[in-house]
Formats: sequence, C-alpha cells, structure tokens
Amino acid sequence: MLGLGVMMLGLWAITWYFSTKAGATMLGQTTPALKADDVVNPLNTVWVLLAAFLVFFMQAGFMMLEAGFGRTREVSNIMLECIADTCLCGLLFWAFGFAFMFGSGNGWIGHTFFFLNNAPATYGSTGVAFLAFFLFQFAFADTCSTITSGAMVGRTAFGGDLLYSTAVSGFIYPIIGHWVWGPDGWLATMDTPFRDFAGSTVVHTIGGMIALAGAIALGPRIGRKFKRDGGGMPPGHDMVLASLGGVILWFGWYGFNPGSTLSAMDFGGIGRVAANTTLAACAGGLGAMLFVYPRSHKWDTGISINGFLAGLVAITCPCYWVSPFGAICIGAIASVVMVLAVDFVEWLRVDDPIGAVAVHGACGIFGTISLGLFATGQYGLPGATGADTSITVDGLFYGGGAKQLGVQILGSAVVTVATLAIALIVMFAVKSLGVLRISEEVEIAGIDIHEHGAPAFHPEFAYMGHSAIPSGSASSSVKLPSNDAPSVGVGD
Amino acid sequence: MHLVTAIIKPHRLEDVTTALKGIDANGVTVSEVQGFGRQRGHTEVYRGSEYNVDFLPKTMIQVVCEASDADKVADVIADAARTGKIGDGKIWISELSRVVRIRTGETGPDAL
Repeated sequence: MLGLGVMMLGLWAITWYFSTKAGATMLGQTTPALKADDVVNPLNTVWVLLAAFLVFFMQAGFMMLEAGFGRTREVSNIMLECIADTCLCGLLFWAFGFAFMFGSGNGWIGHTFFFLNNAPATYGSTGVAFLAFFLFQFAFADTCSTITSGAMVGRTAFGGDLLYSTAVSGFIYPIIGHWVWGPDGWLATMDTPFRDFAGSTVVHTIGGMIALAGAIALGPRIGRKFKRDGGGMPPGHDMVLASLGGVILWFGWYGFNPGSTLSAMDFGGIGRVAANTTLAACAGGLGAMLFVYPRSHKWDTGISINGFLAGLVAITCPCYWVSPFGAICIGAIASVVMVLAVDFVEWLRVDDPIGAVAVHGACGIFGTISLGLFATGQYGLPGATGADTSITVDGLFYGGGAKQLGVQILGSAVVTVATLAIALIVMFAVKSLGVLRISEEVEIAGIDIHEHGAPAFHPEFAYMGHSAIPSGSASSSVKLPSNDAPSVGVGD
Repeated sequence: MHLVTAIIKPHRLEDVTTALKGIDANGVTVSEVQGFGRQRGHTEVYRGSEYNVDFLPKTMIQVVCEASDADKVADVIADAARTGKIGDGKIWISELSRVVRIRTGETGPDAL
C-alpha cells in the first residue's frame, strides 16, 4: 500500500516536471537532424560485428568436429592446434595478413595498413568501422587455417603445425585472397569480375587445397589401410561431438554468409542469403545420406554431417545471387560431389581423417562454378545503404550466357592450382626440416601424451593418489622407480 | 581346458588378433586395462606440473582353449605382441574346472 503511494507520487512528480517550463526546454533540445551516416554506419558495424562473433564461434564447431572424427589418442592435440592456430592467426593478421589482403597495392598483393596503421574510421565504402571489419576478416582467416589442420590430424608435430600455420594465415591465405577480395585484386577487377560472395574459393578452396598438400606431405597415419587395399577410414571416436560440431558450424555459417553483405541496410539480401544458406545445407545433408544409402544400406551419420557441410561450403560463393530453388540444387549436387571426392581422396591413398579436402576443397570449387550456372540475373551487389542492382550477375541456366561461368572457372582454377603449388612447396619445406611429422614411436604411444604431456581421456583410478613432482627436481630425486623406465610416456 | 591371459601393448592388438585367427582360436575376449609391472608407471604433465602416474594403459586378451593348445596359443600371442622394448607385457595360463555354453547348455570341451 505504501509502495503504491510512493509510485503514484513519483508519477505525479514526473508529470509535473515535464509540464513546467524547465521540462519543456529539455525535451525541445532533442538531437539535431541525424545524418544518414550516423544511422547507417552504426547499423552496418553492429551487423558485421554480430556476424564476426558467429564466424568466430565456428572454431568451436571445427574443434568438436575434428575431435569427434579423430581418435581418442589425438584429441588434446587437436584442441591445442585449433587454439594455437587461432591465437597465431590473430597476431599475424594484425601485423601483416590484413595489410596483404585488404590493403591497397597492386593486383597481386596489398601493402597498406601494416600493424593496422593509418586506418580510416570506416573500411572503404562499407560504412563499417575499420576494426570491426578487421575482426570479421580475422575470423575468416582463422577458419581457413583450421580447415587445413583437419586433414593433418593425428600425426603432425606441434612445432611443424606452428610453422606451416604461420605460412597459411600470414601469407598464403591473405595474398591469394587479395586477388579476389582485395580492393584492387586482379580477379576482382577483370571486365567481368570473378565473384566469390562469402568465400567458397577464398576460404574453402584455399583451406582445402592446403589441407591436401599437408596430407600428401605427411603421408597416412600408421596402420591406416585404404579402401583399395582392403581397409577403410578408422571410425571417429565420438559421434556426439562430431554431430554437434557440424551443427555449430552450420550456426556459425549464419555469420559467414549473411554477414558478408557487410551491410545491414541490404536487408533483402541478408534474408535471401540466410534462407539460401539454410536450404543448401538441408539439401546437402539429405543428399549425402540418400546417396550413400544404396552402398551400405545404412543411414550414415558421419557422411550426412559432411553432406550438410558440403552444401554450406558450396552455397557460400553464390548465396547472394541465386534463388532458393537454385540453392537447393546447389546443396544437393554438392553432397554428391563431396561423396565422390571422398572416394577419390581414398583412392589416391591420401589420409584425410576429417574429409577436409572433399568438403572444403572439392565443394568450394563446385560452389564457385555453380554461380555461373545458377545466378538468376536479378541481383547485383550489396551496398552500404542498400542493394545495388546497377550491375547484375548472370548465370547460364537463367539465360545469362556463359560469360560469368567462364570467369568463375578461370578464377577457381587459378586459385586452386596456385594454392596447391605453393602449399606443396611450404609443406615439403617444413618436412625437409624434419619437424612436420612426429616419430613412429610417438605416434604409437599417442601424440597427446608426447606433445602435450597427458592423454585427453583417462580412467580416474589411474590418478588416485598420484604424486606431484616438486618443481626443479623432476629429473633427479622423484623419478620413476625403475631405472630403465622411459621418460614421458613414450614407448610404454 | 585352459585360460590363456595376456597383457600386451595396445597397438599390438591387431597383429595378435590376426595371428590368433591364423591358428583358428575359438574365441577371444579383449579388455582395456590399466596397470604396472616392472616398468612401473610414467610421468605426465598437467597445467605445467609433472605427475607420476602409476598405471599405464594396456590391453588384456583372454582365450579359452583345449589344454593341449594352450602353449601354442601363448606362443602365437607372444610372437605377435613382441616389440623387444620394455613394457611388452605378460602371459599366464590357468586351468579351468568347468566351461558352459549358455545357448545350448553344453559343457566341457564341447562348449569351446
């Protein structure tokens, strides 16, 4: 009762205040008329940041997917590789990766914004705060770097991982990416520009091709028998992790594709991209599941996960320019491309535990080319203040001719071949230093225990009553009881 | 009837299984186990600290066979599991008083 009285009194006081002259003056002082930039730039920036956070969350998806498809002995290694790659990529992208990729320079490489110096308030004509744009692009670079590690699970030495990751996120991805996404990249400034909306080529083909080079340089895991030798892929250890990781990646893709409009004002474009992304994933998941059913008469969980990921990778390039029905076709075809690519990689006797080469490499190439087939010719480019349809992107199936198709094939081929060639050189260079692969002894004992000190999973009773070794005396007094026992776990 | 029990290094399991199939062993039971022998445990590192861990992961194989086959089974396992390095494991053979096949109720050698 007392509370109600106080509230009434408060309401009366507010009413009284605004009815007085003082209150009237204050309300009259509302801000002067807003300029368009004052609304557009914050909106676009917030949208891009939201998308950047979603893309970053894809790291969690990748970690879970790779861990689930891996074996128990290598899980701790997979986790730390993804964490270390992310940290490394952030610093490298700040120092020079971003400058190579998004700085202006020539058609082949950018050379402004080193260490993010001389940055303008907003990037280009996007209206997006410069550092927000940087964060968004860092998340993309990190994705590319993580895709690579997927094909190299279980046998890559940690030092070698740091070395090749430096090459991937500091040089290969930014420099080749500049050709497509740089302000003056040569593929982007052709008469009919090569189009890659969110990165089927830039992120996924590059990542997939480096993965292929890595898997070739490493060779297969010990004991890995290939299909044509009467073996097959060793099953992943945890389908719960793998499935959840896949779905988290799908969720993160809502930042990856719709965020690539870089513009909240092109709301029609965002909606179309998000819907197309979803439909391609749906078609891809079901497509792969149904395509492999006749082989084994089983509803295969692992291949269905890679199926919707294949659909997502493929729709990443054309998502802005195709219709929902086109997206379904692209997703369905991509799932078949992925399964056939898995078979091909297996036939080549290349050990790719996660399927990175098939999902990201092959479907990245297919998705890029599919734009030349399925683009409806209705859509142009997203602009800072709304969709710009002064130039349209035309596909063969919608009567737009084969010009865009030719450009897409050219661009995809150039990037694929260049990446594979450079990556092979880098991987074999790291191999020649002797730090790319762990020793046979370590691989048998499990990479986790050797490189990271302990396995990821262990029975609790093994640790009951364990004794901590006082620091500094680890090698002398409190050592293993038997004098011929090995050090840290190797050669059990 | 005898029970042959072997503790081996986990990564030798595939070779041991292949070798046992080669001599037509009637059946094999495999478990993941932890333990130590003369080798004792090993050290691990967790969040920067080193620890002694008493038990190492090993694989236990159990084969039930006719008394006359027990030595052969043990030899085959030993040959397939041997790496020559510390920690290769042990094999022991024990006598069984009774074996029953659950489905049919058969006992003795018929149950193998």
